[in-house]
Amino acid sequence: MLKCKINGVEVEVKEGTTIIEAFKIAGQKIAHYCWHPGLSVAGVCRLCMVEIKGQPRLQIACNTPVQDGMEITNQSEQVKETVRWGLDFHLINHPLDCPICDQAGECGLQDQYMEFGLYTPEMAEPKVKKHKVVDLGSKIVLDTERCILCSRCVRFTAEVTKTYELGIFNRGDRSEIGTFENKPLENNYALNTVDICPVGALTSKDFRFRQRVWYLQERESICTGCSTGCNIKIYFNEEGLFRIRPVYNEKVNGYWMCDEGRNIYKFVNKENRLLKAKKGRKGEWLEMEGGAAAKDVAHHFKSLDKERIALVVTGQFSNEEYEALFQFYKKNVGNDFVYHWINNKESFEDFDGLLLRGDRNPNTKGLLQKLEDYRYEQTWAHLEENLKAGKIETLIVAGPENPLWFPDLKEKVQQWGIQLSHLIWLSSAKVQAVDEVECLTWQIPLKTFFEKDGTYVNYQGLEQKSHRIATIVPGALSLSEAAHLMAGEEYKVDMAPILKGPKKNYYVHRRGYL
Amino acid sequence: MSIVHKDTPSTKWYLPGILSGMGLTIKKLFYNLFHRKKMPTLNYPEEKYEYSPRFKGNHVLTVKKDGSLRCTACMLCATNCPADCITIVAAEHEDPTVEKYPIHYEIDILRCVFCGFCEEACPVDAIRMGPEWQTPGLADDNFHYDIQRLAYRPQLKGGILSRVDDEERHQFGL
Amino acid sequence: MEVKVLTKHYDKPEYRSLEGYKKYGGYEVLKKALGMKPEEIVAQVKEAGLRGRGGAGFPTGVKWGFLPNNGEPRYLVCNADEGEPGTFKDRMMMEKAPHQLIEGMLISAYAIQSKKSYIYIRGEYMEPYRIVEKAIQEAYDAGFLGKNILGSGFDHDMDVYRGAGAYICGEETALLSSLEGKKGQPKLKPPFPAVEGYLRKPTIVNNVETLAAVVTIVKDGPKEYRKYGTEKSPGTKIFSVSGNVLKPGNYEVPLGYPLKDLIYNLCGGLKPGRQLKAVIPGGSSAPVLTAEEAERATLDYECLAEMKSMLGSGAVIVIDDSNCMVDLLKVIMHFYHHESCGQCTPCREGTGWLDKIVGSIYKGEGRLQDIQLVEQVSKHMMGRTICALSDAAAMPAISFVQKFRSEFEFYVREGRSKVKEVIANA
Repeated sequence: MLKCKINGVEVEVKEGTTIIEAFKIAGQKIAHYCWHPGLSVAGVCRLCMVEIKGQPRLQIACNTPVQDGMEITNQSEQVKETVRWGLDFHLINHPLDCPICDQAGECGLQDQYMEFGLYTPEMAEPKVKKHKVVDLGSKIVLDTERCILCSRCVRFTAEVTKTYELGIFNRGDRSEIGTFENKPLENNYALNTVDICPVGALTSKDFRFRQRVWYLQERESICTGCSTGCNIKIYFNEEGLFRIRPVYNEKVNGYWMCDEGRNIYKFVNKENRLLKAKKGRKGEWLEMEGGAAAKDVAHHFKSLDKERIALVVTGQFSNEEYEALFQFYKKNVGNDFVYHWINNKESFEDFDGLLLRGDRNPNTKGLLQKLEDYRYEQTWAHLEENLKAGKIETLIVAGPENPLWFPDLKEKVQQWGIQLSHLIWLSSAKVQAVDEVECLTWQIPLKTFFEKDGTYVNYQGLEQKSHRIATIVPGALSLSEAAHLMAGEEYKVDMAPILKGPKKNYYVHRRGYL
Repeated sequence: MSIVHKDTPSTKWYLPGILSGMGLTIKKLFYNLFHRKKMPTLNYPEEKYEYSPRFKGNHVLTVKKDGSLRCTACMLCATNCPADCITIVAAEHEDPTVEKYPIHYEIDILRCVFCGFCEEACPVDAIRMGPEWQTPGLADDNFHYDIQRLAYRPQLKGGILSRVDDEERHQFGL
Repeated sequence: MEVKVLTKHYDKPEYRSLEGYKKYGGYEVLKKALGMKPEEIVAQVKEAGLRGRGGAGFPTGVKWGFLPNNGEPRYLVCNADEGEPGTFKDRMMMEKAPHQLIEGMLISAYAIQSKKSYIYIRGEYMEPYRIVEKAIQEAYDAGFLGKNILGSGFDHDMDVYRGAGAYICGEETALLSSLEGKKGQPKLKPPFPAVEGYLRKPTIVNNVETLAAVVTIVKDGPKEYRKYGTEKSPGTKIFSVSGNVLKPGNYEVPLGYPLKDLIYNLCGGLKPGRQLKAVIPGGSSAPVLTAEEAERATLDYECLAEMKSMLGSGAVIVIDDSNCMVDLLKVIMHFYHHESCGQCTPCREGTGWLDKIVGSIYKGEGRLQDIQLVEQVSKHMMGRTICALSDAAAMPAISFVQKFRSEFEFYVREGRSKVKEVIANA
C-alpha cells in the first residue's frame, strides 16, 4: 500500500494506482474526459492536470502512477488556469447546439465548464465545420462537430468488443470519428459508446429527441434480459420508461451492458402490457381487475379435477414469487406436474464472450433451485405426452415478461388452446395468441420487475435484489399476489406509486432552483 | 365571514351619506359631459385601448424565411414555464442543419399566466408574446393552441420573421 | 571554417556506391566494432558525449543505456523522417553516403545487440529512398547485412520503410506507431520506446546524423571526437542554412561555432543592401532570434538554450529586413495547424486557433487584443501535450509576437505590412 496526499487528504492506495484513481478514492473532484475506468489510458484531453510536489511540470493524473509519499494537488492556481484553458480549447470548435443536443443536462462539457471553466471565452474566429447527423448504423447517430475526440468510443470498440468499427479519420482539428465504408457500428454493445461519450456526439436513435434528460428520474435495478443480470439504471418519468443504462458492478457486468438488454424497458411500458385481466375465450372476453380475476380463478378452482391440473413456469420471476406459487400449487393442487418452460433450447447455453447469455431468463438458476427444493422433476416431454393423451385439462402458465424471447410462444399457446379446457394465463405482456384461444381462459396481468421487489439469481449463482420503483399498470399483480389470491386467501395487494400527472423538471426538484 | 354591524350615528343617519354620494355622481356626470376627452373609461367593444408594443399578449411562434418554424424543440420554454402549459413533441428533421423540430407544440392558454418566461428562455427567438389579448371563446372552444394557431393564424399574415438571421449565425459559426 | 568529419568525402560521386565507399575506408570501422564488446561501444559513445541530432539533443549513449536487460528482441530504428521546415541535412547524407548510414546503423545495432533495424524515410524523399534501398541491397550482397556478418556471428537485417508524409511521424513514438502500421500518432510516455517501443519491444530511435556520427566515434575514439565542439556539445554538426543568404546549403561546423560566422563567412552573407532581421536557429519550431541576438549566438545546445531558443535539427533560417514577420508567422502557424495529429486537445484546437488568429491579422482583420491572445494561447499550449508539436507551434508564436510586437501592432493598426515600405524605400 502506498500513502499519498491528495489536496491535503491522506489516502492509501494499492501499488500501480494512477493519480486519477487516487483522486476518486479520496473523493476529490478532477476534470477529465478521455479517461474511463473501463478503458485504456489515452491521455489526450489533458484536463486531469495535477501538480506534484517536487516536479516542475504539471502531470496528467491518468497516466502517472502514485508513488509513496507523493503530495498531489489540483487546487493550485497554475492547475486551475491550465484546466480553464484546457476546457476553452475543447469548446472553441464545439457548436452551441445545447438546445437541440440530447446530452444537454448530463453533458460532460456543460458540467465541467460550470465547475472549472473559463467564463470569458476568447474565441472570435469561425468554428470548424464538420459533418452533422452522420448515420452510424441502425442504433447510433453521430455529430462530428460536437465530438471532442476523447477517443473513448474508439477505444471501446477496439478493447471491449474488439470489433474495431470506429476510428478517427483525418488529423488536427479536422479529425472526425467515423466508421469504415459499409461497416456500420452494429455490434451488440454499440450503445455503450453513447453512454461513455462525454458530449452529445453519439446519440442513441432509440432515445434521440424523446425526452430532455432533466425530465427523467433515475433508479437502479437489475436487467431481466438474460441470466447475466446486469446492474442497470432505469430512466423514467410520468410518461413511462425511456432508457436503460448500465451501472458498474465489478462482479457482474463491469461498466457495460448489451444493447438487447437496453430494450427491456419497452416491455414495461403500457404499449406492450396486458392492461386488464380478462376472462373468456376468443371473441367473448370479459374485462375485470387483476385481483377480481384471481379471485374468480380461486372460486372456479374448487370445481376442477386436481389430478388434471399442471403448472408451467418460466425463469422470468423472482425467488419469492416461485416460493409463493409453489406453495399455492402444493396446497391447492398437490400433484407434481410442474414444468420448466425453456425458451430457446438450442441457444440456451450460448454466450457471446462478453455479457449476453443464451438463457434469456433472469432467474433460471433460482427456478431450478426451487424446483429441486419442491422435488418437481418432470420434463417438458412429459407435459407434451400428457397433453396429447388428454390427461391435463387445466394449465396454469406463469408466462414470459418479454414474449420476444419465447419464439415458440404463439405455437404453444395455440396448441394449448385446442388441447385444454381451462387456461390460467399469468403474464405481464400483451400476447396476441392468448386472445385467440378457444378454451376458457383467465388472463391475469402481472407486474414487471419495475413494479415489484424480488430476488434474482444470475448464472453465477449471485443473488441480486431488485426493488420496485413505480407502477405502470395499476391492476397488475405480482406472481405471489396472484398465487395468494388464487388460493382464495384474503390478501392485500401492495402497489408502488402510480406514475401520473405532468412530468417535472427533476433537476430543479433536486436542486431547488433553476 | 363575519358581518360587523356598526351601530353608530353616522350609519343610522344614512340620508346625508346618500345625498353626498349622489352629489358626487352628479358632479362627475356634468364634468364628464363637458370634458369628454378627459374621460378615463372606454366604450369597450367600439373603442379599444392602444397597448404598448411590449405588451405580453398571446404567443406567436416565429418562422424562418422559408416559412417553417424557427422552434428547435429544445423544450426550454416548457421547462421554464411556471404554469406547465407548454407541451412539445420533438422529431428528427430531414435537413441535418435543422436536425430537431417540433411536430407538436401546444399551449394551454387557460393555464398560461402570461409571465413571458417562455420568451425569455427561448435561445433562438422562436416564441414571442404578441400584442393580441382579445381571445374570448365559448366553453367548448379549443384553448389548446397548436402550431397552426400559434404560428400561422390569419392575423399574422403568413407568420412573423425573427430579427435574428440564421444564415448570418451560421456564417459566423455560432 | 567548415570542419569536414562526416561530410569529408561527400564531394566524391562514387562515395555513394559500395565500391566507392570502401575505397575511402568504408566498413573498416564495422570490422573494428565487431571485434569490440558491445558495451565498449556504448561506453565510447557515452564518453564522446554524442547528443541526438534530430532536435531534442538527448545524449545517445544514455538513451542506449535505458534498454532493459530482459532478453526481449530489440529494434533499432533510424529516423529519416526529416520534416522540420528548413532542415535538409539527412537527405543529403542519405543521397551522398548511404553506406555511411548503414555502417553507423550496423555498429549501433551491434552495440545494442539488435537483430533488426528499420530506416523510416519521409514519404516525399523518393530519391533518397531509392538510393538507400539500393545501398542496402549492395550491403546484403557484400555480406555486410544478413546472417553472420563478417564472420563475427552477428546477424542483422535492415529494412526501409517509407512514411506517408506526416510531420508528426518524425516524433519517435508516432514514427513507431506508423511503422507498426497504425495511424501516426504519438503515444503516451512512459513507457519510453527504449523500454516498450516497436511492437512493444525495446526500441532505439536515432537520427540519421547521430547514427552516422557513431562511425566516426568508433573510428577515431571519443577523445578525437571531442576535439571539436564544446564541453557539453561535443563534435561537429551539419547545419542546413536557408533563407536570405547568398549561399544556402549544408555546412558541417563544430558545435559552438558562432552563428554570425556561419551566416557571413560560410554562407556569403546577405544580399547586398539588406539588413539581418532575425534568425531561426533550429528549424521552424525553434524560437526566433533577433539580429542582435544572432550576432551573439554560438551554435551549441547551451548557448541557444540560454537565449530561450534551441539548436533543434540545425536548420538555420536567415531572415532579412525584406520579410514581414506576420507573413512568416502565418506560414509557420499554417504548417503546424496542418500537421497537428489531433490527439491532444490543446494542440489540436490550439494550432488551429493560432492559425486562424494570425490568419485574420494577416488579412488585416485582426484586433489589437489578438496579439495578446496569440501569446496567451501559446502559453497554454506549452508542455500540455503528449509530444512536443504543441510546443513547437507555441514557441515560435510567442517569440515572434514578443520580439517583433511593434511590427504586429503596426500590421493590426494599418492593415498592411511595415516591410512593404522598407522594400519600396529601398
